[in-house]
Amino acid sequence: MDDIVTQSRLSLVVRLVGLLVAGGLAIANIAIGINQGMQVQLAVLTGLATLAITAWVWRFLALQFVPKHHLTREEEPTLAEEARNVWRNHKYATIALGLLAAGFAILSVTVSGFFNIYTVISAAILLTILVMTLKYSHLMLQYRSSFIGLMVLAGLFSVGAMTVEGFASSGNVRSMLIFAAFLGLACTGQTLVALVGGLDLSIPFVIGSANVALSYILSLGVPSPLAFAIVIIAAGLVGLLNGALSFKLQGQALIMSLGVGFAVAGATQIATIWGAQHAGSLFGPVPEWLSNMAAMNGTTFGMNFPAVILIWIVLAALVILALKFTVYGRYLYAMGVNRTSAGRVNISERRYWYGVHVISGVFSGFTGALLLGWSGGGFIGIGDPYLFMTIAAVVVGGTSLLGGVGGYGFTVIGVLVLQVLTSFLVGIGLDFEWQQFVFGLLILPMVALYARSPHIRTQI
Amino acid sequence: MFSEGQAPTRRKGDTSGIGLLMPITLLFALLILAALRSPSLISASGFGSATIVVAPLILATYALMATVIAGRGTVDLAIGPLIGFINVTLIQVTALGMPQNIFVVFGFCILVGVAYQIAMALIVIYVRVQPIIVALSGYLALTGINVVIQPRPGGMAPEFMANWGFGTTIFSPILLILVLATAGWLLFKRTAFYTHLRLMGSDERAAYTSGVPIVKVRIGAHVMSGIFAGLAAICFTALISSGDPSQGTNYTLSAVTALVLGGAALGGGRASVAGCLLGAVNIYLISYSLSTFNFGSMQSYVTQLSYGVVLVGSLLLTLALPHIQRRIRSFSPALFFVALSTVALSVGLHTVFDYQDLVPVMGDAMGAPELYGSLLIANPTGEQGGLLGNLLGIAFVGVTLPIMLRSLVSGSSRSNVQVAVYVFLAALIFLTIYALSSGFGGVSISLGAN
Repeated sequence: MDDIVTQSRLSLVVRLVGLLVAGGLAIANIAIGINQGMQVQLAVLTGLATLAITAWVWRFLALQFVPKHHLTREEEPTLAEEARNVWRNHKYATIALGLLAAGFAILSVTVSGFFNIYTVISAAILLTILVMTLKYSHLMLQYRSSFIGLMVLAGLFSVGAMTVEGFASSGNVRSMLIFAAFLGLACTGQTLVALVGGLDLSIPFVIGSANVALSYILSLGVPSPLAFAIVIIAAGLVGLLNGALSFKLQGQALIMSLGVGFAVAGATQIATIWGAQHAGSLFGPVPEWLSNMAAMNGTTFGMNFPAVILIWIVLAALVILALKFTVYGRYLYAMGVNRTSAGRVNISERRYWYGVHVISGVFSGFTGALLLGWSGGGFIGIGDPYLFMTIAAVVVGGTSLLGGVGGYGFTVIGVLVLQVLTSFLVGIGLDFEWQQFVFGLLILPMVALYARSPHIRTQI
Repeated sequence: MFSEGQAPTRRKGDTSGIGLLMPITLLFALLILAALRSPSLISASGFGSATIVVAPLILATYALMATVIAGRGTVDLAIGPLIGFINVTLIQVTALGMPQNIFVVFGFCILVGVAYQIAMALIVIYVRVQPIIVALSGYLALTGINVVIQPRPGGMAPEFMANWGFGTTIFSPILLILVLATAGWLLFKRTAFYTHLRLMGSDERAAYTSGVPIVKVRIGAHVMSGIFAGLAAICFTALISSGDPSQGTNYTLSAVTALVLGGAALGGGRASVAGCLLGAVNIYLISYSLSTFNFGSMQSYVTQLSYGVVLVGSLLLTLALPHIQRRIRSFSPALFFVALSTVALSVGLHTVFDYQDLVPVMGDAMGAPELYGSLLIANPTGEQGGLLGNLLGIAFVGVTLPIMLRSLVSGSSRSNVQVAVYVFLAALIFLTIYALSSGFGGVSISLGAN
């Protein structure tokens, strides 16, 4: 009973403070709302919502922070002692919180127009998500990364909708989904290769080559479905070559696929521009159905979005289900976790290694061909962003690069997170180089939340 | 593959003798091709400019090597953007009025490189994220921030660097940096720290249980890498004598390719300085040889294609090496190196001294006589030059043959490839001095004739 008494005594104070803070925030909210010309009912409603959410979150957090185990203690700890314990146990969290608040305050003071109701709400959302992720993610053993990914996605989207005008409009969502579809298709092979412990760096080069090659074959007058099929089969063959060459050298598969990619991109360019004056891009006829399938203004069965989104969703569902429920899918995980034991139950390492590379090649070729429909002209460099984006989406989603852990569902979340983040960064007016910078800085903490390897002393 | 256990006759485990077979062969094949295609390489300015161009790549490869040895697949993809970052920050702080003292500039570059690498090491050690992910985010972040710091190429390099990038002589400060860096690495190999590093790279658990301070060793490896990155950035700045936010990024892929060409294991524990040096020089020679052919608009794609093919080929060759090793028991890289360098040098001398009648014709035909200026000066008359060349060739073979015989007799498997590098460097220096002196001699003779 002892600890319950102390807890309630401390949390009474804490709750009172919390109520005060929540009330203050709610009043400020209403005042600002009315001041900005909002409808009075609406302002009061949002104020009440703020009050409720803040009070609940405060209570929730306060209960988390109060120490619970005092049964061994003889005398009842005093309030001061209790507070000291709380401080000692949650020093770093409090300091971090303080630093965040200080940063926010500094930004509000220095950047004019930064402090408005939307940024305050966004900051509150981000903070809530941060705390919830930190608090709950350790409860999940299997789906931690997808939980974190979804939280980040929700946070990013709501913050984006709050701060960027037109962020949640149907047009923007559609364009985000189109880019996500391209990236997601390109990531399919990367995920499967990562599941068996490899990395395929040839993907961007195959995408670029397929893009240029399709444009070239079409300009020769080959019927478009046939040209499409030729390109995809050729891409599959490149994947097969990649798998065959790197099978015996799996430790160096990264570099091997890079070499194959270089060779393929170079060879394609030489083949397509032999004798041509200008290099790098090709302009030819793009069939109607292809551009309808991938371009921004395409339609699917009369609906107002291009088919590539639907294709991605269907393929993603298929891949996820196949990985989860088919024998092939389960064997893939078995091989990724432990080659030797997979070999003992007659899983052919060679077959699966070749297989994932062929799939990777086919999907890269498919992406490259679809990108022709999107852009309207062949360009070898169109795959370049996919070199790091595919890896980033895979690791941000939560598939381990060491193999055996993860899946395509995780990658889908990773793709969406990266895409929404890009769109958000574009929306707040950052240039491409700043986007890259922020991306680089954000990937690390996102991965660090769940993909930390154990300390060396636990591996002995 | 070439661990100490499998090669009991080899005293020093990490000069993976037969692993250098491929890089050395490729080096001389390319050298001969380059010399035949474009004799201007075999001249003081040819060597000089080659050194200037290849120096950043070699140093970037060394920087990669230091962390690759440390294991965990630490291929620092951010090395190219890091070179670019140091380059643009150096240009910016120079413009802001940092003292243009050589020590200050070197200190600044090395400090920035080391600071970045230490940050990366701390993340790898304490956050325990896979190094490839740290490298990836570093790549993205640095590529972005480089353009922010300096949006477009421009600016002025520190003044004292102004004439470093001319490449008119062999003995440039760049060569000195290269030699010092290589020598520094060779000295570093003799320390216990290096043994710890290799042990950690091969098997981190074994290293930890044997009491190797793995935290310190990993940080140390990254510090080495940072120092080399700083030096690479200095050479890069001297090469372009300005700031360029995007050019440095290209070094990532070339340096990784060079590392693999040189036979390093990306898994960790094994890499040799000779291999890295040869790999980087090979990469340069590939693009140099290709640039002598005229592919027009396809030039860059031909280069790309051949990079890819060479990369794949050299990786596949590592599969064949155990078989070769079974056939050839006592392969000596040093002997092989000296033998091939004799051949290459005779070809070089042949092109320099026997093609001279053709040279003016070629120069006129290609509309670029100034390219062959050094050669024209270097050759007074056809007959005399040819005679000189032959004499020199004979002398060189006369000097190297005894060395080869001596190595053959005294147990070739023990010899170390570093000896070969020294011999080759010495031979190059002799050749250069000769070429220079005969060049000046040629001028004086022609002046005298006038």
